[in-house]
Amino acid sequence: MATGVKSRDRNRVLYLYGITREGEGAVPGITGVDAAASVEALPCAGLVCWTSRVDKIEFAENLARNMENLEWLAEVSVRHQQAVAAIANSRDILPARFGTVFRTPASLTADVQKNKALLVHDLKRISGCEEWGVKVFGPQAQPQVAAGAKSGRDYLQAKAAALLAEAPRTADAEVQRFVRALEGVAVEAAAGAGAVSRGQRGLHWQGSLLVKRSQRGKLQQLMARFSRDWEGKRRIELSGPWPPYSFVSRTQKEEAGRA
Amino acid sequence: MADNNLLAGLSGQDEVSLLDILDHVLNAGVVIHGSLVISLAGVDLVYVGLNVVLTSVETALRHMRLEQLPDRAGRP
Repeated sequence: MATGVKSRDRNRVLYLYGITREGEGAVPGITGVDAAASVEALPCAGLVCWTSRVDKIEFAENLARNMENLEWLAEVSVRHQQAVAAIANSRDILPARFGTVFRTPASLTADVQKNKALLVHDLKRISGCEEWGVKVFGPQAQPQVAAGAKSGRDYLQAKAAALLAEAPRTADAEVQRFVRALEGVAVEAAAGAGAVSRGQRGLHWQGSLLVKRSQRGKLQQLMARFSRDWEGKRRIELSGPWPPYSFVSRTQKEEAGRA
Repeated sequence: MADNNLLAGLSGQDEVSLLDILDHVLNAGVVIHGSLVISLAGVDLVYVGLNVVLTSVETALRHMRLEQLPDRAGRP
């Protein structure tokens, strides 16, 4: 590090994309979440952190507020995913939570050092694996449209009540059979993942799978088989491969906060 | 990347939706705390707004009901 911090650098912080065992240099053809800076490898406590320099005000001080701006969030989350996916293309990566920002390389290194045992353990767990998102959509009851509603608000409230009365979305025996088959192919399965789209209409089951890259063929066969069996009854949506976002540890504090 | 699209093609999806990206990118991933205070708790609150915009009217309605529950928005 050069001595003396340039004033420009004081307004920049490090945005973390993920952690790998090895790697160096910049990710070719990829810019960071700000669509400007390159994404570079930073050796950290024996591991490698992938970061880019971002504006401190936009990505640290105003992060929470910016995340409520859906245009901003859409753009930045797509760039985040693109960067993590580009790194994951050639190596195993522990993807960092969206919006993880560090003041300096030293503060990042200190944190990685502190969590190193957990990080190394997770890297081993996800080694050679990729994540797939699975959704099962089924037939949906048509909610009764509120006839004679006097206002838009009346209409919405009546419709909300109708939706509330819908049958609970528990997986039926067929879906359970599918889930068991998925678990047979996956290293790990996390049911119910997907906080954003869990309210999608007709969604009967949703989960993420951690699958060895070598098992893609088996997953493909499974999808084909159930898609055939369920034709006209249920629809399967598959997305991936994703970096293993849903299969990395959270700190105890974070788990407590979610309980 | 041709291989990657093979499986997705089965379900008739040629591209990953923004909804799926947000599902995977938000509120997932390894949490290590920066020296700056990052509002991780704030992430959950974003979903209310997201659903209104990104999914159907029905989803928005579900959240209307959730918002009526006392003290939800303040303390995730």
